[in-house]
Amino acid sequence: MTPATRTEDESTVAPDDVVEDEPRTPRGWWRLALLLVGALVFVFPFYYMIVGSLQKTQNQSLSGALPQPGNLTLHNYSEVNAALDLGRALINSGIFTGGVLLATVIFGVLAGYALAQLHFRGRSLLFVMMLLLLMVPFQLLIIPLYVLIVRNYGLGNSYLGMIAPFAINSTAVFIFRQYFMQLPKELFDAARIDGANELRILTRVALPLVRPALLTAMLLTFIGPWNEYLWPFLITKQQRMEPLAVALANYMNTVQSTVANPFGTILAGAFVLAVPAVVLFLAFQRYFIAPNIGSAVKG
Amino acid sequence: MVPVRSSFVARVKLRATVVVVFTLSLGLSALGGSAVASAKPAPLSYGPINIWYSNNAQEITWGEQEVAAWNHLYPSQKVTGQQIPAAESSEEVIEAAITAGSEPCLIYNTAPAAVPDFEAMGGLVSLNSFPGAVSYIYARTGALAGMYKSPDNEFYQMPWKSNPVVIFYNKTEFAKAGISTTNPPLATYSEFLATAKKLVSSGAAKLAIDPSPSSEFYEAWYDFYPLYAAESGGKLLVENGKATFDSSAGQAVAAFWAQLYKEKLAGNETYTGDPFADGTAAMAIVGPWAIADYQGKEGSPKVNYGVAPLPTSKGNTSYTVPTFSDAKSIGMYASCKNRGTAWDFLKFTTSESADGKLLSLTGQMPMRQGLEKLYASYFKANPDYIDFAVESAHIIDCPYVSNSIEVWQVFRNDWSKAVIFGSGSTDAALASASAAINKLVASNSSP
Amino acid sequence: MKVEAELPPRTRPSVVELESELPPSAPEPLVKRLGRVALGRQPIGLAFGAPYALFIAVLFAYPLGLSVWISFHSYFFTAPGMSVARPFVGFANYRAVLSDPAVRQSLLNILIFLVINVPLTVGLSMLLASALNSLIPFRAFFRACFYVPYVTASVAMVAVWLFMFNSTGVVNSVLGPLAPVPSWLVNQNWAMPSVAVYVTWKQLGFFILLYLAALQNVPKELYEAASMDGASWWHRLWAVTVPGVRTVTTLITLLAIIVGANLFTEPYLLTAGGGPSGKSASPVLLMYQTGIEQNHPDFASALGVLLVLLVLVVVAAQRLLQRHQA
Repeated sequence: MTPATRTEDESTVAPDDVVEDEPRTPRGWWRLALLLVGALVFVFPFYYMIVGSLQKTQNQSLSGALPQPGNLTLHNYSEVNAALDLGRALINSGIFTGGVLLATVIFGVLAGYALAQLHFRGRSLLFVMMLLLLMVPFQLLIIPLYVLIVRNYGLGNSYLGMIAPFAINSTAVFIFRQYFMQLPKELFDAARIDGANELRILTRVALPLVRPALLTAMLLTFIGPWNEYLWPFLITKQQRMEPLAVALANYMNTVQSTVANPFGTILAGAFVLAVPAVVLFLAFQRYFIAPNIGSAVKG
Repeated sequence: MVPVRSSFVARVKLRATVVVVFTLSLGLSALGGSAVASAKPAPLSYGPINIWYSNNAQEITWGEQEVAAWNHLYPSQKVTGQQIPAAESSEEVIEAAITAGSEPCLIYNTAPAAVPDFEAMGGLVSLNSFPGAVSYIYARTGALAGMYKSPDNEFYQMPWKSNPVVIFYNKTEFAKAGISTTNPPLATYSEFLATAKKLVSSGAAKLAIDPSPSSEFYEAWYDFYPLYAAESGGKLLVENGKATFDSSAGQAVAAFWAQLYKEKLAGNETYTGDPFADGTAAMAIVGPWAIADYQGKEGSPKVNYGVAPLPTSKGNTSYTVPTFSDAKSIGMYASCKNRGTAWDFLKFTTSESADGKLLSLTGQMPMRQGLEKLYASYFKANPDYIDFAVESAHIIDCPYVSNSIEVWQVFRNDWSKAVIFGSGSTDAALASASAAINKLVASNSSP
Repeated sequence: MKVEAELPPRTRPSVVELESELPPSAPEPLVKRLGRVALGRQPIGLAFGAPYALFIAVLFAYPLGLSVWISFHSYFFTAPGMSVARPFVGFANYRAVLSDPAVRQSLLNILIFLVINVPLTVGLSMLLASALNSLIPFRAFFRACFYVPYVTASVAMVAVWLFMFNSTGVVNSVLGPLAPVPSWLVNQNWAMPSVAVYVTWKQLGFFILLYLAALQNVPKELYEAASMDGASWWHRLWAVTVPGVRTVTTLITLLAIIVGANLFTEPYLLTAGGGPSGKSASPVLLMYQTGIEQNHPDFASALGVLLVLLVLVVVAAQRLLQRHQA
C-alpha cells in the first residue's frame, strides 16, 4: 500500500495505533481530549473574531466571548462595507490572486516538470536560483523591484504590477518538481520511445497523475497573494485598486470614532477577508491531505 | 558601390551626424536635468492635472467642492482629485510615488516634516519660480511663512492649514470627578498631574490622557512637541543645526510626561479608535480637526468637551503661548506637467473664500492672517473655535532639516524607552537623542 | 507566509547514475550528439523552463543584484530625471549596520523569537500530528481547526489578538492578578515572546500537515514491534516516531528559521514601530523603516544582505549537521 494510493478513509488504521487486543478507550480518550483542547485553543481567536464582529458595543470581558443576544448586530458589516467597499476590494483581491494562480499553473508546472524530468543545460542553475529565491526576504528586493516595476516598466497602480513579483510561486514550483520526481522514469522513457513530444508527455501522462498535487500547490499558492499586504500597498495609488488585505490594514489605522464599535467593524472586515480562504480550504480539504504532501517530503 | 559615392557618403555622414548630435543632446539633457529639477525656467503649460487630498471626511468634502467649482469655471483645465491612498503615514506613499514619477501635481496633505526629504529627492517644485508666488504666500500667511522656507530661501511647499494643538477635556467626566468644568485646574504641571490623578482615582475615567504611545516618528508631535513649544517659548526641535531640547524646558516636559505614564494616568498600549471619543481618556491633546469626531455621529455618544490651553511648568492659561501647528502644506510635485494650471488652482484653493469654506467645513485653521476678523460671522456662530484662531498665530512647526523623518524617529525611540516605558532617566534619554540628532543634522547631504 | 524548503539529501539516484545505467544504443549522429552535449538530452526543457527563468532573472536576480549594488554605495531615492552623486562607499554601510544598537537589538529579538518558536513549532506539531494520526472521530474537523489560522491573513488575525491581549482583553480577564503589567504586547519582556507565540500558533497548521504526511511513511511494523516490547505511547513516540520523521524535522526546523529571520508583518502589525524600546523589532522591520520610511535604502540593503548571508550560514550549518548525523 503506497502512500500515493492510500485514500483518506476513516476506517484505515493509522500506524501509530496498535489495535489488536489493546482496549482503545483509555489511551484513545486521552488523545482525543488533547486534540480537543488544542483545537479549541487554536480556533478560539477565529471564533472570537466572529463574535466580536457581531457585537453592537465593544465588550472585552470574558462574558463578551459568548454571543449575547442583546448585543448582536450585523451593523459592523455594513459599516465596514461603507468605509471600504468590500465588493470592489474582494474583486481586486480576486484578480490579483487569480493572476498569480494562472501564471503559476501554466509556467510553474512547466518549470517544475522541466526541473524534475528533463535534462537540459542550465537545469541546476535554475534549481539553485529557485532555492535562493525561497530564502531571500522579499523586503530586500522590494525597493529595487518597486523602482523597476513602477518606473522602468510603468506598471504602477495596475493589476499587472501587483501580480508581477508573485507571478510564479516558487514554493509551488518546488512542490511540482517533487511530485513529478516521484513518477517513475520508465513511464517517460516509454512515452518518449513511443514518439510523444515532451509537451504531450506532460499533459497526457504526467499531469493526470499528479492532479491532487496540483490542487494542493494551488491552494498553497492562493494564500500568498490573497493575504499579501505590503506590495499591493506600495503599488496601488487609488483606493479602488486596493485588494482587501490592504484596504483592511489601512482601515485599521484610520478607523474613525464616529463608528459605533470600531473594533467590531475591523473584525467584520477581517472576517470577510478570512472567509474565502477558509471556505476554499475546507472545500478542497481532501486534496490537502497527508498522502499528497507525504510523497513530496519523502524524498 | 555605385559611383554616386559622394552623395551616399554624404547621406551616411549626415545620418551619423544626426545620430551623434541626438545622442549627445540626450546625454547633455540628462546631465543638465540634474541639480535642482525644479529650477527649469520652462514656459508654464496649462491643462488637466491630478491632485490628492487627505482622507479626512470633511476635507474630502471641501476638496470635492473646490474641484467641482474649478472644473465648472475652467473645463479645459480639468482637475481630478482623489483621496491619498494611505493610512497612518502618507509619507511612504508619496515617496514611493515620487520615485516612480507617478505622483500627482498637488498634494494637499504634505507634511512639513517630510518636505526636506522630498526636496532632496527632487520631488518638489519650487514655488518661487511662479511670478508673484513669494509675495502671495507672505501676504496670506504673514511672517509665520518663514518657517516653511528651505535654507536657500525657496518655498517647496505652501503652508496651508494648521490645527493648533491644545487640551480637550471631557466635561462629563470632570464633573463626575468633582472637578470644575468651566475652569479646570490644568495650568501648571503640578495642577495638571493632580487633576489627572483625581480623574483616574475617582473612577471617572480609565485614563487621564492618552496620546498614542506607538513608536512612529510623528507621534512626538502629539505629546512632547506641543508642550515643549509652550514651555520653551516657541523653540523648534532643531535650530541653527543644533538640537534645542536638551535643556531645562525639554527636561521639564519629559519629566512631566514620564510621571503621567508612571502613575498610569496615560496609557502605554495602542488603543484602537479614539480613547477620548470613547470616554476612556478624560483628556486629549489634539487640534480642532478632531471636533467632528467628538460631536459624534450615529451610535457614538457626543463628548461634552471643553478646551484648555497647554500647561507649562510655571502655569499657563492663555492661548497666546506657542504650540505645535500640526499643519499641512500643499506641495507641487516634480512630475507635474501643467504647472501653470497647478499654480492657478493652488491660488484658487487658498483664496479668501476658499479658506473660509475650509474653515466652516472642517473647523481647521487656514494659515491666513487675521482669521478672527475675516471670518467674524463664522466665529460668532462657533465661539468655541476662537481659541484655535488665536493659537494659530503662535504656532511652531517641524524644523526644516534634511533627514527630518529620521531625526524624529531617533527622538521618538529615545523618548519611548525612557518616558513611556520608564527605562532609564529621561534627562539621559534627551541627552542621547540630542547628540544623535546633532550628528544627523551635521551629516546631512544637501542637494 | 512564504514557504521555503531546502532539499533534504537525495535518496533517488542522480541523473548521472541513471544515465550510466541506460543500455548502450546505436551510435548517434555527430550533430545530434553535440546538440545533446551542448543543451542536454531534452533541450525542450529550456523552453519549458524559460518563462520561469525569465521571471527569476528579471524579478529576482536583477533586483537582488541592484540591492547588493546599492549596499555598496551611498544611495537614496530620487525623482526620475533627478541625478545625484551615488559614490561607491565600500563597506561603510555594512559598518553602520553592524554598529547600530537597534540592529543588534533586532537580531537579539529574532534570537529570542527562534528560541521560542522553533522548539515549540517542532514539538507541538509533532505531538499534534501524532495525535491526529491515530484513530479518532472528527479527524477532518480537528484538521480544519489547526489550519484555519494558517489560511487567514495576518492582517485579519492581528486585530483579534490585539483585542484579546490588551490590558482589558479577554486573556487578562481570565488571568486576573497573574496578568503581566504592562500588558503583553507593550511589556518589554513579553513583547517578543508574545509575537513568537502568535506566529507559532498561526503557522502550526502547515507544519502539522507536513508531519502528518511524514508519519504516513513510518512503517506500521515498527510501532507494532515497539508495542509488543511493552513500550508506552510516549516511549513509542521517542523510539519510533521521532527518528522516523527526522528528515521532515530538519525541513521544518529550517523553514521555521527562515521564516523567523524574515519576520516582518507580525512585528509591524502587532507592535507598531518596533514595540516597547524596540524590543519586538525585527531586522526586516528595520529594513522597512530605514529603507522606505527614511529613504536610506543603502543602509537597508546592507542589512538585508547581511541577513541573507546569516540565513545561508544557518542553512549550511544545518545541512552539515545533518550530513554528520546521517
